[in-house]
Amino acid sequence: MAYAVSMTRAPKEATRRSFLHDDRFQMMVFIAPTCIFLALLTIWPFIYSVYLSLHAVKLTAMQRAVFIGLDNYINLLTDPLFLRAMLNTGMLAVTSITCEIVIAFVIAKAFVSLSHLKWVNGLRSLFMIPMMVTPLIVGMIFSYVFNPVLGIANYLLGGVGLGPVPWFGGSTAAMISILLINIWQWTPFMMLLIMAGLLSIRADLYEAARVDGAKWHHVMRFLEIPSIKGIVLLGVILRIIDTLRFFDVVYVTTRGGPGDSTMVLTLYAYQQNFQFFQAGVGSAAAVIILVISIVITTFAVKLLRRIEDE
Amino acid sequence: MNSTFRLRDVGPLVLVLGFVFISVAPILWLTLGAFKPTADIIAIPPVWIPDFTYLQNFRDVLTQFWPFIVNSLVATIGATILALVLAVPTAFALVNHRFKGREALADWILSTRMMPPIAAAVPLFVIFRGVGLLDSLPGLIIAYAGFNLPFAVWMTMSFVRRVPKELIEAARLEGCTWWQVLKDVVLPLSKSGLAAVATFVFIFAWNEFMLALFLTTREAKTFPVVISSFVGTGRVYWEYIAAASIIQCLPPVLFTFFMQKHIVSGVTMGAVKD
Repeated sequence: MAYAVSMTRAPKEATRRSFLHDDRFQMMVFIAPTCIFLALLTIWPFIYSVYLSLHAVKLTAMQRAVFIGLDNYINLLTDPLFLRAMLNTGMLAVTSITCEIVIAFVIAKAFVSLSHLKWVNGLRSLFMIPMMVTPLIVGMIFSYVFNPVLGIANYLLGGVGLGPVPWFGGSTAAMISILLINIWQWTPFMMLLIMAGLLSIRADLYEAARVDGAKWHHVMRFLEIPSIKGIVLLGVILRIIDTLRFFDVVYVTTRGGPGDSTMVLTLYAYQQNFQFFQAGVGSAAAVIILVISIVITTFAVKLLRRIEDE
Repeated sequence: MNSTFRLRDVGPLVLVLGFVFISVAPILWLTLGAFKPTADIIAIPPVWIPDFTYLQNFRDVLTQFWPFIVNSLVATIGATILALVLAVPTAFALVNHRFKGREALADWILSTRMMPPIAAAVPLFVIFRGVGLLDSLPGLIIAYAGFNLPFAVWMTMSFVRRVPKELIEAARLEGCTWWQVLKDVVLPLSKSGLAAVATFVFIFAWNEFMLALFLTTREAKTFPVVISSFVGTGRVYWEYIAAASIIQCLPPVLFTFFMQKHIVSGVTMGAVKD
């Protein structure tokens, strides 16, 4: 094999002692480019965003930046549209992740109880498909399915005497539609995590619970939930971060409308920066999103470590 | 294990079938639309089963928009290569070289994954405008590689860790430089892992939308940006949206399928005697 060959020819080169063969130098060469790259992409943008957020500045005329202190932040926190975006993002995170966990748990239980049937694996793969579809395309799929004129959803509901549902047309309906799309796409992901957790429970523990006469809710509370807590929390962290970045689906389905009913944080920052060219306001919004991400992840990672230590 | 169907399986099975239907039906419905001419796609009551030999929508989308598909491919493949070239040596060094602050550095690299792309949007736009990378494929490649780098490093580390320490030590005793250890010992042994990393980076970069939306305007526009513009004002061409969506979903599937051959486990088995 390849490594056997290399060992025979290596010593001759290594005897040439130049700094190129210095261990620490080689390792630095391995690590440095990545670090520089990531610093340029994360640390520098952060500093620059903070700088911009303290200025009144247009994306089209960056040289004419005027220092205005915290005015952008104050304006944001009194801007109803931004507050709406915060509220919507928070609501989306809480409701969609809760629904995902509950539905995913039920389906995971169903899949686990059917796991003795080989062909059920195929059904599981089919169930996982939504999480593999590009979010942009997911938006397209539901614009088509929920279309008020030619949409199949209202046609089918009409067939059983319901609707028409306004879907993206009404302000409450639009938010619920976005929520449903999120649940549709990410329940499979949660299901995968929960199933992995459930399958790691030893069969004899279930057996012991049964012998002790435990009801299903006892098993759930004292055996299943403790076993999947860690992995579900990991899923929740990833999903919260996803929700803070949530953009593609709203961009193609509602663009934050009707009115401001489906405005979310990333879309708000995007529009301020690249549609109204308000780089100062947009950067302040971006900094707030970043701070929320950092606070939530730090907190969640601490919690995760504590659960794993138990 | 007993693999026969029992009566008490009926309940879970009905539930599972219901949810599988909800998962698959919307995707299937748009897919069917790709094979319908304009009159059929807007028909109510709907045309349920289209004529699958009707490929005009695919032909139209490909002839009109192929340059943007090429853009997407170049940006994605370029980013995948760049991300791997940067990530592999870094992951190797983080696993095999003991130095002060190693863990902190690894944690920092992973934590940059948490950075929301929107927080880097304006600074990135400003640098790219300054150095002429706006609306260019190299610009996209750099941006995509960068945003996928933390994940790529982190995932590569998990594969590099599996290379038996004995092999690396043996190579070092023979006088190999770290570069040679990486090239001749670690790389051949973690090929399948690298294929997996490449697959993930490929899929993330191919599906990326928001960065492309403001980093590209004409020349380097990617296919997702083109698709998103189909639902602007005026008449919406659902049949083109459907065909384009299928085209958009194909490369990740093909790439994963192609890479699957390389993702063989147990390559290192038998390399070290216990």
